[in-house]
Amino acid sequence: MGGPAAGEPMSALEVAVVLGLIALGTYAARALPILLLAGRVLPVPVQLALRNVAPAVLAALIVISVSPSRSPAEVTMGRWPEVAAVIAAGVVARWRRNLLWAMVAGLVTLWLALWAVQIR
Amino acid sequence: MQTTGAPGGARYGVLMLPAPDRAALREGLPLLIPAVPFGLIIGVAAMDSAMPAVGGWLTSVLIFAGASQLTTVTLAGTTSAWAVVLAALVINSRHLMYSAALSTAFSPQPRWFRVVGPFLLIDQIFAIMDTRTHFEPGRFRRYYLTLGLVFYLVWIMVVSLGMLLGPVIPGEWRLDMAPAIMFTGLLLMAIDRRPAVLAAVVGATAAFLGRGFPERLGILTGAVAGVIAGGLAEWVALRRGNP
Repeated sequence: MGGPAAGEPMSALEVAVVLGLIALGTYAARALPILLLAGRVLPVPVQLALRNVAPAVLAALIVISVSPSRSPAEVTMGRWPEVAAVIAAGVVARWRRNLLWAMVAGLVTLWLALWAVQIR
Repeated sequence: MQTTGAPGGARYGVLMLPAPDRAALREGLPLLIPAVPFGLIIGVAAMDSAMPAVGGWLTSVLIFAGASQLTTVTLAGTTSAWAVVLAALVINSRHLMYSAALSTAFSPQPRWFRVVGPFLLIDQIFAIMDTRTHFEPGRFRRYYLTLGLVFYLVWIMVVSLGMLLGPVIPGEWRLDMAPAIMFTGLLLMAIDRRPAVLAAVVGATAAFLGRGFPERLGILTGAVAGVIAGGLAEWVALRRGNP
C-alpha cells in the first residue's frame, strides 16, 4: 500500500485491504474483551486513556478539515466561513444536544458566511 | 417461515433468531432518529471520496461505525492507505471500553452470541445495553439483537440513500464541509468532563501544529497527544478522588 496523491482514486486491491483491516480491527476491539476477559477489567491506565479517544480524535479531525494551509492568517481570515460553521455547529450541539440541529446550524451559517463573502 | 417455541422467546426458521423485543424497538427509536442524518452525510461523502462507490457503501456493511466510516471515505486518496487504516482504528479503539464494560453480561451467553453480538456493538447499542445488564440472559440477548439488527439495517439503508442523493446535490451547497460540521456536533456531545475538554483542546492544538505533516499525520499527532493529555487528567482526577 503506497501513498497516493491527494484525490487519487484507490485501486480495488487497496480498497479491499483498507476495508478488510479496518473491519477486522474494529471487530477485534468490539469482541476481544467480551471473548477473553470473561468479567475481568482492563488495566486502569488503559481505561483512563480510552475514555478520551473520541474527543481527542474528533478535535484533531475538525482542525485538519478547516485548516488546509500552513498559514494561521489564512485559517482565521480566508477560511472564516468554514470556521464560523463549525463554531455554530458546536454551540448548537452543546445547547440542543441534537446532531440534526447542529448540522442545520453549521450548514446555514456556512451558506450565510459564503454569501457575505461573495457580496463584500 | 416456520416458527417453533423455545425458552426465552420464539425462534424463527433456520436462522434461529430470537423473536424481536418490542420494548427494544420502542426504547431504541429515540437514539435511531439522530443517526439518520449522519448516515445520509456519510453516503454523500462516500460519493465524493477517492474510494470507489462500492467501497464507500461496504464501509456500512463491514465496519458499521459512523465516525470511522466518515474518516475512511474522507481521508481515502488524500493520504496513504496505512494512515487511513490507522486513523479509523484509533477512532474505533473506544469500542474496547464498551466491550470490556459488557463482558460480564456476555459471559453467561451462548458462544455464538458472544462471537456474533460484538459486531453490533456501536455507541448507541452500548449506551442502552449498559443500563440493561440486569436482564436475564435470554432477555438480554433478544433485546440486544433486536436493537442491533434494526440499527444495522436502517444504517445501511440511510447510507445507501445518501449515496443516491449525493450526485444530484449542487456543489454550491458545500456538503464537503458536512463531515467537519458533523464531527463538531459529535465532539461537543462527547465532552462531558474536564479531562475530555483537555483531550479535545490538546488534540486540536497538536493537530493544528502538525497540519503541515505529510500523509495528514497531524490527525494522528493530535489524537495521540489528546488521548495522553486526557488520560493524565483522568489519572490526576482519580488521585484526587474526583473521577
